[in-house]
Amino acid sequence: MEVTSVVQLDQTKAKDECLNLYLRPLQVSDVDDFMVWASDEKVTRFCTWEPYTNKEDGLNYIKNTVVPHPWFRAICVDDRPVGAISVSANSGNDKCRGELGYVLASKYWGKGIVTRAVKMVVDTIFVEWPHLERLEALVDVENVGSQRVLEKAGFQREGVLRKYFIVKGRSRDMVMFSLLSTDYQS
Amino acid sequence: MEVDLSKITLRPFKLEDADDFLLFAGDDQVTNYLRWQTLSSKQEALDHIKDVCIPHPWRRSICIDNCSIGFISIFPFSGEEDRFKANVGYGVAVKYWGHGIATKALKMAVPQFFADFPDVVRLEAFIDAQNLGSQRVVEKTGFQKEGMLRKYAYMKGKLRDMFIYSFLSTDLPANP
Repeated sequence: MEVTSVVQLDQTKAKDECLNLYLRPLQVSDVDDFMVWASDEKVTRFCTWEPYTNKEDGLNYIKNTVVPHPWFRAICVDDRPVGAISVSANSGNDKCRGELGYVLASKYWGKGIVTRAVKMVVDTIFVEWPHLERLEALVDVENVGSQRVLEKAGFQREGVLRKYFIVKGRSRDMVMFSLLSTDYQS
Repeated sequence: MEVDLSKITLRPFKLEDADDFLLFAGDDQVTNYLRWQTLSSKQEALDHIKDVCIPHPWRRSICIDNCSIGFISIFPFSGEEDRFKANVGYGVAVKYWGHGIATKALKMAVPQFFADFPDVVRLEAFIDAQNLGSQRVVEKTGFQKEGMLRKYAYMKGKLRDMFIYSFLSTDLPANP
């Protein structure tokens, strides 16, 4: 089975940790690892969804959303999925734009993992999708950690969109970030 | 030409507006920053009024003396997470530019729309970075500029930077 074409490798030392970090598709067989972050309310705090409470829902999500998704990867540390990162696609006049999303098990926070994963996505997505001009991300104004990830990865903050989403019954202000294919230099 | 802004009214479109509709919807200058294709015949105008304007959740003709000289559209998004937001668009016949008509019409439309759609909390307008006239319209109406979205979308085949503006239901002046 050809695996190398879909695996992004990054084996740089991160501060005092040497982490074997790579991205690969998330599969149904990863459901137990998925449940570790998906059931954690610290992780889902700024997500539109509630924590998962049963494995059946996890399996359905992987089968129905992850597998057919245009670009969805597990973030793997020491060969196990510890989070996920994805880019959504648009059509027609909006085809130039993709939205970045990511999530990481709380045990692995604070080590720069998501920043590295975002950089790996940026290194590949404009090549895989030549029609993509703009990668954007929307982050809750209170989610400072996630804003720092994007800033470190070179995204530009464009503004605060007021009451942009209703998340868990409350309207939220979101910061809009973007990285253009022309911003990106390999 | 003098325009008495107190004569500006908003009402739903009717098939009888087709000739007047074609005067602005058939003009590239008006449709330049819209996603519409410029219309080119009375039949297209009739079809557009029948298939788009009339079934639209909230589209109004901007009228002087009950004669259609432009439009305002406010389109609520669908979907559980988005239905509290709506997108604003408008256009006025070139002959009537420069008199504050679009601003007057938008100032009338915004509170009417919020009254008709009490679930909507956020109106947004995406305005091409080069479209200074339209930026002034929303600013004078009280929309807040939130930022510039770089290379946000294609418009008439070109990739455009757009300013995003919003008007929240909480931005409406409190009732006396």
